[in-house]
Amino acid sequence: MAEVVLEKVSHRYPEAMSDTFSNVDLVIEKGEAHALLGGSGAGKTTILNLLSGLARPSSGRIFFDGVDVTDVPPRERNVAQVFQFPVLYTSLSVAENLAFPLKNQGWRGDRLRARVRDIAERLELTDCLNRRPDSLSLFEKQLVAIGRALVRPEIALVLLDEPLTAVEPATKWQLRRVLKLAQEELNATMIYVTHDQTEALTFADRISVLHEGKLLQTGTPADLYQAPAHEHVAYFIGSPGMNLVPGEIIDDAYRLDGCAVAPAMGVPSGPCVVGFRPEWAEVTTKNVEGPMVTVTRTRVLGTRDHQPMGIVSVDLQGQTIHTRQALNVAVGATARLSVREDRVVGFRAGIRLHGGLANA
Amino acid sequence: MRRRNNRAWLGVAPVVLIVAFSAVLPLMTVVNYSIQDIFDINTRIFVGFDWYRETLRDPRFLDALLRQFTFSATVLAIEIPLGILVAKSLPRTGARTGMFLILLAVPLLIPWNVVGTIWQLFARPDIGLFGATLTALGIEFNYTADVIDAWIILVLMDVWHWTSLVALLSFAGLASIQEPYYQAAEIDGASRWQVFRYVELPRLRSVLIIAVLLRLMDSLMIYTEPFVLTGGGPGNSTTFLSQYLTTMAVSQFDLGPAAAFSVLYFLLILLLCWLFYTSVMRSAED
Repeated sequence: MAEVVLEKVSHRYPEAMSDTFSNVDLVIEKGEAHALLGGSGAGKTTILNLLSGLARPSSGRIFFDGVDVTDVPPRERNVAQVFQFPVLYTSLSVAENLAFPLKNQGWRGDRLRARVRDIAERLELTDCLNRRPDSLSLFEKQLVAIGRALVRPEIALVLLDEPLTAVEPATKWQLRRVLKLAQEELNATMIYVTHDQTEALTFADRISVLHEGKLLQTGTPADLYQAPAHEHVAYFIGSPGMNLVPGEIIDDAYRLDGCAVAPAMGVPSGPCVVGFRPEWAEVTTKNVEGPMVTVTRTRVLGTRDHQPMGIVSVDLQGQTIHTRQALNVAVGATARLSVREDRVVGFRAGIRLHGGLANA
Repeated sequence: MRRRNNRAWLGVAPVVLIVAFSAVLPLMTVVNYSIQDIFDINTRIFVGFDWYRETLRDPRFLDALLRQFTFSATVLAIEIPLGILVAKSLPRTGARTGMFLILLAVPLLIPWNVVGTIWQLFARPDIGLFGATLTALGIEFNYTADVIDAWIILVLMDVWHWTSLVALLSFAGLASIQEPYYQAAEIDGASRWQVFRYVELPRLRSVLIIAVLLRLMDSLMIYTEPFVLTGGGPGNSTTFLSQYLTTMAVSQFDLGPAAAFSVLYFLLILLLCWLFYTSVMRSAED
């Protein structure tokens, strides 16, 4: 495994008008499970291709363990990749598939067989070793592809390009569990590309959020959740996403509909976006400070202490806001919105101003 | 309970009739001729398997058969690898691809006797580009007199005519391979040979089976081009089965022996294709 460093890396496809992404700086620690999260067109797969060596950056350098690998071809980089659909050598058995990258590095005999058996055991593939890929399920095929990626013991980096896309939902969890276990046991540096925030949040030690060619934020799942650096991160992570309500700062306080909801010490006055997670707010008919809202919808998600719990949607001056709370308000009722003032995050021009746990 | 309904047979009837009149009846007529000695419309004698025995002992038939095998094996051994090579060197996408594909298809669109004429002119030692060039270089080349020269020009012509078919089929097979397969092989440190052997060849398998079958059948039946190009000569050195058969049936009007020959010829092609197909299918199951 290796520490991976991207230094001011930009990439532009030939004949493209603009960069796929520009000036990406990223450090991925040894043995880290790192997720690249973003929608389609965010540049995730291009970053993978740069790391594997299938593409070259138009500027910037890439280092593995301090060694500049920017111009090193894929076969000499010692990386492995798992693709969206299972990519296997169909004319070879499962065992031969697993042995393929090792054989190319000169492994032979008992050492080779022992390593293949070891990987097969970790991935629960021992029963399939002599079978052809054609006879395997999609789940098993992808497992073999993952096995082939993990089989080289001194592998610098394992790249996973949305590896669960083709797998049925029922087996996704199982595959992710096996993958995570193998990652921990083998202590492999892994980069996992996905557009699915749940996959990223459950798999990765740290996540980088990409949007339209920009690296918006890198951090632990908790960082991204509680202290998003960018409006898009706030919206992308969490379900439902963070409430992002147009408001303003006047006299060192965030205001919604004129009501102060949280302190904003030292931030210049002016319009801003006020952000808070659904569980950091409550709609209540009690007499508290806060803007007046109308309840438009409630959804039950479960119960706590025999109380129905769920999502309450309210209307504030034409803006829909969701809160996660006890369902003790009726649709159509007028109520007050109370926000946990220590959790409010403010954004101006998309960038976080202040607030969130990191600053609290 | 399911009600039986035989009306579906009515739907099949036209096809059955067409096949019966175009294939089964003529074939049975040939079988009928092959066991009789026919003098005129009213005079015929049943001879059993005599014509078959005679044909199988005929040295001219056996020579033509040997030449036929040699020719088919030679052109297959050249056209299949060459076709794959051509397909591999074509650009996978882009404007040029379409142009190359059309150029490749051109030989397939030329009538066969025209192909023969083109090569006859091309190979002529006095005015043909190929023949005259060799002559000018001091290499003696005369396909009307020299057996080796005649074979060279015949094989060249067939390769020119039919490699395109293999190339087009292989190109279609290669085009179906998605980029990640190549990327994975690259990352796994596979050599170019391994990429061909383990990524491309397995996916070319089914199109190559079709290509080999088509070329095997067609080359076994070759008639027009050698007829135009060499006329079967010099001597009988490029007389293949179909040409010998035509001579026998049309020129000499030996209907009985020609019919026996035809049945043997038909069975031979059927047997070879069946052998090839079953052996390929059996190897797939292992």
